[in-house]
Order: sequence, then C-alpha cells, then structure tokens
Amino acid sequence: MIWTVVRVGLLRMWHGRTEILLTFVVPIAFFTIFAFIFDEQIGLGKSPKVNVALVDEDATELSRKLMIALAEQEALRVYSPDDGGETPHVFDSVGPARELVLAGGLPLAVVVPEGWAASFTSSGGEARSVRLLADSSDPVATQVVTALIQQLSGRILAAQARDRIETVLSLSGNREAAAAASRFTKPVDVEVVDLFAADKANPVVSMYAAGIAVMFLLFGAVGNAGSLLEEEETQTMERLMCSQLGMTRLLAGKWLLLWIVGVVQVTVMFVWAQLAFGVDLVGHLPGFAVMTTVTAGAASSFALTLAALCRTRVQLNAVAVILILSMSALGGSMVPRYVMSETMQRFGKVTFNAWALDGYTKVFWRDLPLGALVPEVTVLAAVTLVLLLAARLLARRWESI
Amino acid sequence: MPPNAAANGSALRVRDVARRFGGTTALAGASLELRTGERLALLGPNGAGKTTLVRCLSGRVIPDSGEIEMFGRPLPGTGGRHALGFVPQEIALYPDLTARENLEAFGRFHGLRGKDLRDAVLWALAWTGLSDRAGDLTKTFSGGMKRRVNIACGVLHRPLVLLLDEPTVGVDPQSRERIFVMLEELQDQGTSILLTTHQLDEAEQRCDRIVIIDHGRVIAQGTLSELIESTVGINRRVTLKLAEPGPRLEGFQTGEDPRELVGEVGDVALELPALLTRLRESGGQVSDVEVRAPSLHSVFIHLTGRELRE
Repeated sequence: MIWTVVRVGLLRMWHGRTEILLTFVVPIAFFTIFAFIFDEQIGLGKSPKVNVALVDEDATELSRKLMIALAEQEALRVYSPDDGGETPHVFDSVGPARELVLAGGLPLAVVVPEGWAASFTSSGGEARSVRLLADSSDPVATQVVTALIQQLSGRILAAQARDRIETVLSLSGNREAAAAASRFTKPVDVEVVDLFAADKANPVVSMYAAGIAVMFLLFGAVGNAGSLLEEEETQTMERLMCSQLGMTRLLAGKWLLLWIVGVVQVTVMFVWAQLAFGVDLVGHLPGFAVMTTVTAGAASSFALTLAALCRTRVQLNAVAVILILSMSALGGSMVPRYVMSETMQRFGKVTFNAWALDGYTKVFWRDLPLGALVPEVTVLAAVTLVLLLAARLLARRWESI
Repeated sequence: MPPNAAANGSALRVRDVARRFGGTTALAGASLELRTGERLALLGPNGAGKTTLVRCLSGRVIPDSGEIEMFGRPLPGTGGRHALGFVPQEIALYPDLTARENLEAFGRFHGLRGKDLRDAVLWALAWTGLSDRAGDLTKTFSGGMKRRVNIACGVLHRPLVLLLDEPTVGVDPQSRERIFVMLEELQDQGTSILLTTHQLDEAEQRCDRIVIIDHGRVIAQGTLSELIESTVGINRRVTLKLAEPGPRLEGFQTGEDPRELVGEVGDVALELPALLTRLRESGGQVSDVEVRAPSLHSVFIHLTGRELRE
C-alpha cells in the first residue's frame, strides 16, 4: 500500500514534466545564477573593481605617492574623463568628484586634503584624515577603499619614515629628530563623508523596498495574468471572443487591471516603508509616481506576454518562477548589484528589475530631479510597448484557429 | 426577425465546410441548415466533428473551405456575430463573481448598457429561476444552477441564433427539464436554436429537426420520422417470447434467446393478432409480446454503427 502511494506519486511526477522541471532543474538554475554572482568574489578572491575618483588637494610628494599606489590597485578602477583612458585622472579639487558621486556615476571619491602630508611632520597637531566622499548605498566599496588607503598610506609613510630616520641618524645622531620622524608610522585616519544618508532616517531601506516591491510586482502581475489561461480552460475566452469585446480590448483591459493592482501594490509597500522605516515617500512623490507608473506598466506587459506564451496555468507558474527569480537575482532585487562582479552587473542590465531599481535609487537615494530618470523611463516604457505588442501577437491563438 | 429570414426561412446555412487539424480531418464538407425559429439537434459520436462545426459557426475555428451564411448573408471567418449567442460546453463563468455580477459582465461584453442591461439581468435571473440567489457566488451553485446561468450569459443580448454545445451535460433530470423550458421560451420569442447533444431523447423529444454528423460529414438530417423512414423504416420491431423453444414463424428469426422470435410488422393492430393466432396453431405458447417503435437510437446506431468511438 505504502509503495503504491509512492509509485502513484512518482508516476504523476513523471507525467507532469513541469513538476520535474520545478523540482530538479530550477534549483540547479538558481544555484548557477548565484554561483555566477558570488563566485568571482568568494571562490576566487576577486572582488569586483570599485570605481573611485581621486582628488589630490594636497599636491605633495606623499599625496602623489598615495594616488599612484591607489591607481595601481587591482581592486580599484580610477575614474578617467576620457572613458577607458590609460592614465588615471586625479582631480585637484573636490567639486567635480563630489558631483560624480552625487550623480551616481561612482560610489566613492578619495580626497587627500590640503596640508595632509604636512600634518604628519608638524609637532603637536593631529594628522589630517583622508576623506572618502561616499555613496553609502554601497557599503562594501567604502570598506574596501578604507582598508586600502590605510594599508597603502601606512606602507608609504613607513617607507618615508625609515628613510628619514636613516638620514637623520646618519647625519646627526639626533634622537629627538628620529623620534619626530617616527610619527609617520601612526595609522592614517580615513574620514567617511556620506553624501546621501546624512538627512535620511534609514538609508538602505528604500533600496530594499524597491527591490522587494518590483519582485512581488512581477509575481502579482503574472498571477493575475494567469486568468487568461483560466478563461481559456473554461471556454470563457471562447465566449468572450463571441461577444463585442475582441482580443485587443480584452488585453487592454487586463493590462490596465494589472497596472492598477501593481501601482497600488508598490504604493502600499512604500507607505509601509515610510511608516515603519522612515523612507521619505511623501518627499519623493513625483519621482515615485513616475517610476511606479512605468515599472508597473512594464511588469503588466511582461505578465501578459508570459501568459500568452504559456499553454497552461501550471506551465505559466513554472516559467514565471524561473524567470522572475532569475531576473530578481540578476537585477538586484535579492542581492544588491554592487556586490556582483562587473560582468554580472552588466548582464543584470538586461532585466528590467535593474532599470526599475536604478530609477528608484535615483529618486529615493540620490534625490535626483525627474530629468535624471529619462534613461530608466525610456527603457521601461519601451519594454512595456514591445511586450504588449508581443502579447497581442501571441494572443492571436485565442482568437481563431 | 431580420429581413432575409422570412424570405428564405434559413437562420444559418452551412455549405461544404471543411477543416483539418494537422493530419486529422475534423470536418470533411459538412452541410446543414438551421431554419428560422426552429430547434435543431446536432448529433454524432465522439470525434464526429460536432464541436468543430459549432466552433466554425461561433468564429473560433476558421474553416479551410466552405461557406456559412446567417440570414442569407455570408458570415466572415471571425467577427460579425452580434446576432449570435454562444453557450460553451464548459461552465464559462467567473466562479468568484455572483450570478448578478456574471450576468452584468457578459451583458456589457455584448454591448448592453444602462436600463437595457438592468432589464436584461432582471429578465435573466427570473428566466433562470435564480432571482433569490442573484447575490451568491456562482461557485457555490449546484451543477444545474451553473448551467442555467451559463446559458443565460449567452442570451442576455437576445441573439437571433443561439448555439449551445451540450447544454445539459452532467445535470439531473429536473435541471434538464428546466433548461428545456427556458429554451422553449426563447424559441417562442423567435430565437433559432442549434444544440449539440449526446442525449438522444433530448433530440428526439425536444428538437424540431435532427442532424447526424459522422467523420466530419452530415450523414442525415430531417425530422425524426423523416430520419426513421429514410434509414430503419417505419415498421415496428416485434419480439415474441415463447414458453418453450421450437416453433417457427415466417418472416421471424430466432433471437439471442432461443425462446425469442424477432421480426417486424407494418401495422401492429392488423398484423399482430394474426401472427399470434398462427403461432398458437403451430403449437407455440406465447408468454410475452414486446412491440418497439423505431427510435432515434435505432437510427443513430444504424447510421453510425456500434463500434466504440474514442
């Protein structure tokens, strides 16, 4: 008897290939995706390169050595105005580098302030700190660069101290001078200046609110779009096609329904984020409205296309789980994209999660004006239209055969 | 009634409609006529092409060849079917809407608005006998109630022609009776009805004419008596059960049971007494007599055979 139960279960699984796909293939697919995301960092010890701008206001031999040493680091990619230029660019003032970080072009700018080198030799005063102008939405970059600055400046200062001690000793044997020179061996302070989080109650929550909202927007939209397949299975579609409704209006109605539900879903998520975690929704309403409008639109079109592509609800659920979780993993809904390798970050751009999250980040994190959302809005609007067109073409199978 | 209806008396005319699905021929030149105001039963074994033909009429399936006319005008492959009502075989309702909400939705899809819609919904609720359950979700309804709402959703816009694909499948006799009372009301109001069914008694007793389709072709059509006359004939089948086997009777054959004699008679009142007398004279003792009139069942089996269809 017990074996019969087992046998029936196995036979049903065998006959339902979708179930086999979900049971065995999906976990492998996700393992592979996450392996790609983390492999280059954890497995092989290769961190994704951190993009930084270098600012040398000090313009001393010591600061130049630090700039050169930072530029030589494998872990860093120093900003250069002529993209891909061989020689790393070093700004002589903080203004342009600060703008780059604020615009989201870079997570960090390393600023060696004026008087930094001199502060090591002046007696009595504290050594000045190297400043990091940071976008704290990428805390990993801040920690990596802080450690590198301390390590490199420690080496440079130690080397210089050694030279000086040897010089002083060889010239005068003056113990007092040697003691002054030894001050170089103190660790360098790094002051992190967060350009974004200063006036925000909970800096990273808005990113996760957007990430989770977009992922569940997709799941919700696909769930609702599955009603098309239910209507096909119950012959309601056939009845609808006999009415004055027509397929174009049916799809338009479904799209509008998914869009309304999606907008409400994301809004509820952000209202909760404001109430519980202090995300400033009210202060970013225009940007939120624009991003939510286009994101819900793209998700609705995606869901309709998927439903029109699949033959059964079971098939739709299986394909949706694979696609949405993959897009969410690659697009930053599950794991922030800054922890991924550069290849995976570029690859993630094929998902509209990534475009949506970039847009929400610009709104909630960088406080950028609406004009800055043009790339994201354009891409998501184009995705909406293209997928809607695809859904309409695929839906011809429901009209007549 | 549309202007052409009276002229040719034809609500729907199907001529040589053919349709193949890959290597399978679903329709191989089917032709039939639904006359104005009549109720026509479309019969056939499983896979005969009934549903494909109905789908060609509803616009879901586009024929490879052939013509379909509604009230004398050619019907396009899709669209142009506002005068047509379609009731699918499945319960094509939204189970998580109430009966009233379903009726309102399908009324709107058929172009009804405002007072027309409200009136149509009230009429449909009364017509189906579900006015007191109007606010209940249809998923809580019995099979028969769902069937009635299913039909009502297809006729809210008062179509001139109604197609029903097995409208009584899976319902109890009381619900079937109610459904046919509903259809008779529609017919009285001038609706021409074509329904597919496996219930031979429905076709025999509840329809004006019958079309039998097999292997994608219409193999017979007419009233029941026309079908009987053209196939098995009008003679009654007589089975004489004897107390003991043995006696023979001219024109009669021994049945499966050796004590049975089976034959046909044209006029029961005239011929049967004489038969019984002859049998008694030849030493036979009759224990029972069964006289069976030719039925649609015998016609159907005669035309389509006893071979099981899958």
